[in-house]
Amino acid sequence: MVEAAPETEAHFKEYAIEEFLVRDEPYYRPIGDEIELFTAAYRQHIPVLLKGPTGCGKTRFVEFMAWQLGRPMATIKEKSGKEEELKEGEVRVPLVTIACHEDLTASDLVGRYLLDANGTRWIDGPMTRAVKNGAILYLDEVVEARKDTTVLIHPLTDHRRILPIEKTGSIVEADDRFLLCVSYNPGYQSALKDLKHSTRQRFISIEFYYPPADIETEIIQRESGCSKEHADALAKLGEKIRNLEEHGLQEGASTRLLIYAGRLMSEGITPRRAAQVAIVWTLTDDPELQRSIEEVSSSIFE
Amino acid sequence: MTSGPIPEIEAELAKLPPAVLEAYHEANDSVKESFGEEEIGLWAKEGLTIGTQTVRSWESAIEYYRVSPEVSKFLSFPSFMQWARCGTYLAQDSPTLAVSFFNSSVSIVPNLRPQYIPRWAGLGRSLYKGTWKSSTLAAKFFEVSPDLVRNLPFWDVEVFASLIEALSYKSYDVAGECLVLGRDVLPAMGREREPFLAMSRALIDTSWREVKTCLELVPRALQQVDEAQTGRFLKLGERLAKVGLRNTSKFLSDGTQALSKVPQGSQGYILDLCDALVVITPDAVPPFLKSLDDVLNRITVSQLDTWFQHGAHLLQENPESGIAFFKIESNTSESMLETLSSSLELDRVKSILRLYCRALAGTGLEIFDSQELVSRNIGWVDEGTASTDGTKIFLPPVVDHYTNKQDNFSWFKVVSTHQVAHLEFGSFEYEFEKPTSQFEDLRHEMEQKAIQRKEDQRALAKEDYDMAARLLTSGAEGDVEMTPMFDDPNDMGSMRTFTDIGRFLELFENSRLGFDIFAVLEDCRLDYRIKVEYPGIRAVSSRVQGETLANRPRIEDMPLQQGLVELLVHMSLDQFQDLPVAIEYKEAGEMLSSILHQLRTAEANVEDTAEATLRAYEIISRVPNEQEEDDQFEEQDLEEPGDFSEEDYQSLVDQLQAGMDASSDGGDGESYESPDPVDYRGDFKPEMVQLMTKLQADSGEQGEAQPMTQEMLEQLLQESPELEMDAEQGEVDSNMSMFAQNIMKEAGAPPPNSQPGEGYGPLLHDDDSGGELEAREPETYVYDEWDFRANDYKPRWCIVKEKLVEEGDATFYQESLKTYSALSNHIRRQFELIMPESMRKTYRLVDGEDIDLNAALEAWADLRMGVPPDEKIYWHRNRNRREVAVVFLLDMSASTAEAIDEGRQTVDDRDAPDDPVEYMVWLRRRREGLVRRNYKRIIDLEKEGTTLLINALESIGDTYGIYGFSGYGRENVEFYVIKDINEEFSDKVKRRIDKVTPLHATRMGAAIRHAITKLDNQDAKTKIMFLISDGRPQDRGYSREGVEKEYAVHDTHMALVEAKHKDIIPFCLTVDKAGHDYLKSMCGDMGYEVLADIWSLPERLPMLYRQLTAVR
Repeated sequence: MVEAAPETEAHFKEYAIEEFLVRDEPYYRPIGDEIELFTAAYRQHIPVLLKGPTGCGKTRFVEFMAWQLGRPMATIKEKSGKEEELKEGEVRVPLVTIACHEDLTASDLVGRYLLDANGTRWIDGPMTRAVKNGAILYLDEVVEARKDTTVLIHPLTDHRRILPIEKTGSIVEADDRFLLCVSYNPGYQSALKDLKHSTRQRFISIEFYYPPADIETEIIQRESGCSKEHADALAKLGEKIRNLEEHGLQEGASTRLLIYAGRLMSEGITPRRAAQVAIVWTLTDDPELQRSIEEVSSSIFE
Repeated sequence: MTSGPIPEIEAELAKLPPAVLEAYHEANDSVKESFGEEEIGLWAKEGLTIGTQTVRSWESAIEYYRVSPEVSKFLSFPSFMQWARCGTYLAQDSPTLAVSFFNSSVSIVPNLRPQYIPRWAGLGRSLYKGTWKSSTLAAKFFEVSPDLVRNLPFWDVEVFASLIEALSYKSYDVAGECLVLGRDVLPAMGREREPFLAMSRALIDTSWREVKTCLELVPRALQQVDEAQTGRFLKLGERLAKVGLRNTSKFLSDGTQALSKVPQGSQGYILDLCDALVVITPDAVPPFLKSLDDVLNRITVSQLDTWFQHGAHLLQENPESGIAFFKIESNTSESMLETLSSSLELDRVKSILRLYCRALAGTGLEIFDSQELVSRNIGWVDEGTASTDGTKIFLPPVVDHYTNKQDNFSWFKVVSTHQVAHLEFGSFEYEFEKPTSQFEDLRHEMEQKAIQRKEDQRALAKEDYDMAARLLTSGAEGDVEMTPMFDDPNDMGSMRTFTDIGRFLELFENSRLGFDIFAVLEDCRLDYRIKVEYPGIRAVSSRVQGETLANRPRIEDMPLQQGLVELLVHMSLDQFQDLPVAIEYKEAGEMLSSILHQLRTAEANVEDTAEATLRAYEIISRVPNEQEEDDQFEEQDLEEPGDFSEEDYQSLVDQLQAGMDASSDGGDGESYESPDPVDYRGDFKPEMVQLMTKLQADSGEQGEAQPMTQEMLEQLLQESPELEMDAEQGEVDSNMSMFAQNIMKEAGAPPPNSQPGEGYGPLLHDDDSGGELEAREPETYVYDEWDFRANDYKPRWCIVKEKLVEEGDATFYQESLKTYSALSNHIRRQFELIMPESMRKTYRLVDGEDIDLNAALEAWADLRMGVPPDEKIYWHRNRNRREVAVVFLLDMSASTAEAIDEGRQTVDDRDAPDDPVEYMVWLRRRREGLVRRNYKRIIDLEKEGTTLLINALESIGDTYGIYGFSGYGRENVEFYVIKDINEEFSDKVKRRIDKVTPLHATRMGAAIRHAITKLDNQDAKTKIMFLISDGRPQDRGYSREGVEKEYAVHDTHMALVEAKHKDIIPFCLTVDKAGHDYLKSMCGDMGYEVLADIWSLPERLPMLYRQLTAVR
């Protein structure tokens, strides 16, 4: 669970999980008031639930928020003594991202005793570390997690803001900067995997959807570096494909896919081909659906 | 034992070769068990008779004695003697024959009725002609007889034997071979044996050598030809053989080959075609069948028709060229195949186009054949053109404009893009009051003028009316009845303002001209938008436009007014250069171009089109519709007409008006005619679409606004320029009223003159009298019924009879899956998503499949730490089935027979005419009737939904039962089992679904209670009862005092409550739009859903199920 920084200096950079900081401003194009909402929630220690289909910018948003909140201009009550350790211009809100899956156990998150030559040793899990270091803890696709792990976050998400560690018999109090943020995709949530209400009602919810066509154009152009025309057409294609969501397509084309297509185009791949490999074939295996989407794409692209 | 004649016989036998006596003695002992003493004597004596018939007949006698013990076991003594005597006669003719007769008898007697034995012997005898060869044949016959008799009915054996006999006159060898072949081949045949034998018989007269080949070929034919068609196929062979076709075997092999390539369902159709050919020239059948394989590689079965018809006509005129045609040895044939093979049928690309259109429009559009729209009879009359009614896109059934499929598909695409554009860019969203962006507001002023004009007319009419009235009253003495010559002018109000488009079109004095201009300008706007929004289609669309332009009539040939409209059409098709404009109206042409250019921008909306139309109309209507000489025209370049200016426009109008006033020399020239339609743009009927939408919306809410009556609608349709009627006035009227009726139906408004409750049968008597019922027959059950007034149950009130649904054809099941293949995959996937739940690993168990490493390590660490370790260190894969049991209750009441599409015609079932040409017409019609039958009933959708559900349920293995219910009266609640809850899914179930049909009434309560019983016996965690209906519960006597519908609703509600008490989750799904009224009280807090769109039933049903079972 170590994320490498985008710029590789020598070979690669390795961080301890709680030390990973978003250093450069990630590109995020706000659509509504989500930035204000998140900032307010952060200051008020209210956990945030991000809902939305895949590839619509949830993760990017959290990254952006980590960066934004970590900048000095954000007035956050600092824990004394921490400041000296920061290098010049360094940001102060680390981001700990955990992708949830159905085999994720509580000790995966909290920590466990390990055996070594001298006996046993306690190792903090990523959640514990995030809590201790005042990070934004981002649990991606939280519905995938086992029920017992979701219960873990309950004491963290109400007024207590504590993490009891059963094994060591201790309780960790969350750092002031700590915030829990979870995301899930209501689209392929089979009703069985719904969040329990006792969990759900500990968050404020920000709903994400694909951005409107003009903003999406802007995003595609900015992210992929393709021409305005192509970005425009891609956004239109995305919109049209999303119309098919109810008619056989599981999920519409994500902004991410549109950006991929745009990137291919900026590398000189012909638009129709780029759309085919990045969007059509990725979205579905159903030949009929593929053909239909391709017809839409061939109407839009010359 | 040796008394009587026996010793004598024995003495006589001793005179014959000793083997005879030996055989006799050997048999004697066992025969004694079957026969009495006297009988033995007769038996022995008959042997002697046989032995003494001819010189060599003692051999027969030996055989006789040898088989006697065996034969005697199966025959009574008289029959036995009859049998023996048959042998005697045979021995008389030929001892060898008798030997084989006796020899075969052992195995034949058990299978042959005794009275047939003489006939059987006779069959063998008839083959014997006194020659050595014939005796061998006859002997062979006896030899194969046991097999034949065992497997065929005796009369078939007789027919076969006579066939062999007939053949033996030609050649004994061939006859012998056929005999053996027949033994192997015939038993495998079923019903087709008879036609086959008939065919073979016919062959003997014409070409007997073919018989053997046919026998060799027929098994393969039977394998590859559809079972139902083999009979016809062989009959065809017979007919051909009778008319003297030489190589029938070739026909058989080619035919088999050809038919095997044809999809099963179409084989009958191919045979239809062959039948048609036999009538004309039988010789054409083999070449046709031979080519068929090749032909079908290039074109589809449905295209075959066109090709065949052409060939058949040729054949009638000239058999030679006809046969060459079918051999594909003629140019006509070849080129026809070429065209056909490149043509594209809508059916093949429908699903792709549907998704394409849905993606573009963003709504759940459906694609239909344009013929469909015409047959709905609501005002659309052109079968070949595309159109849309706002929710469906109609496309022509076939495109063959180009010589390759790709181009034809592109054409489809251009056409459907244009139709979708009407929706996407809002042609039907016209609002009179919505401000425009490209023009100043002119419409309100025009409306004032129009109203003024109307009022003037009205005043004029009133004057005439009053005048007439005065004349009548003053002229007569008072008792004269006044016949109004004019309608009362006060009745002349218009309904057109019902829709916004109607209100707009009302502004034009010449509404046809106004509408034509509007249509052209709107199409122009859309085509421009399409080119901007969809650059990818630009090239194809320009090509189509170019081709359309090439076929437009010359402007110079038209009267001036029409010429200007045509000018607009040209410009809308992107031609701005070299446009001929009458010199006199050069400015008008330029002005029209600048008006049109205002619409060629992405900002222009339909309201702008309307404003543009007003202006274009003002100009064009002031131009006389007169013919002009060619030299009065000048080619103009109207590419850049300069910006539109209201002042210039106004002065042009004034100028034209002045010109018109000046030259008011009476006639306005020719009367105006609409331009030729632009093919790819199809039919544009905005007023109809707005009308339908509005009617549908109105019928949804009811009340408030005065609902539209049929008369009002008729009047409206009369006035609308969208409905073109060339027919006589009377016919128009009747058409209008038919359209109006159909439109009302489409819109869901109650049909005129119908009383509420009509069609459900009068509730004559209620069953309050009468008492408790008893279930006497098997598979019947008695249930109570809830009486809400009495607030108590009526004990043992209903009898539920459980019946199995008949089995029909499994094709319905398969066809439904095919039709909804994309959807069914989707649903299956959705369902499979639930599955992993049950296969998930469970960790930290006290025992399980394997050690959970994480837990074990922790435990180990705990041990070291001195903390008591957790002993749950195993994991286990949860293999439990999803514990869901579900019962589906399908409403099979008569009302589910209601068609969702109205106006379908019944299939023409006349008998086949004799004349070949008529016959083919008939054939074609019949076929189209069969192929295009798309008349769906509510129950069909219920069935389709069930099919999809079954398919999905099988993938997750839930326990489920599917039942239908209907009935008549409380003692007859029918409960039909389609799949019982404990029954395994099988082909039987598939076939039963086919037979689910609308029956009688719906007494839901009892059916629900029976379903509860079924579910209650199940041992599952979650139990669900899913009720699918099309309306409120209704039945004879299912009410109190026969009137209160509430009774049925309350009883049903109570039944559902009972279900809930037994931990069953009930859910009601109804397609009745009025369902909200009673479902609320019927279901209470239990789940229900009213489907707004019936068509979505197959899709919605499985989805609902998934949600229902998921929530726990």
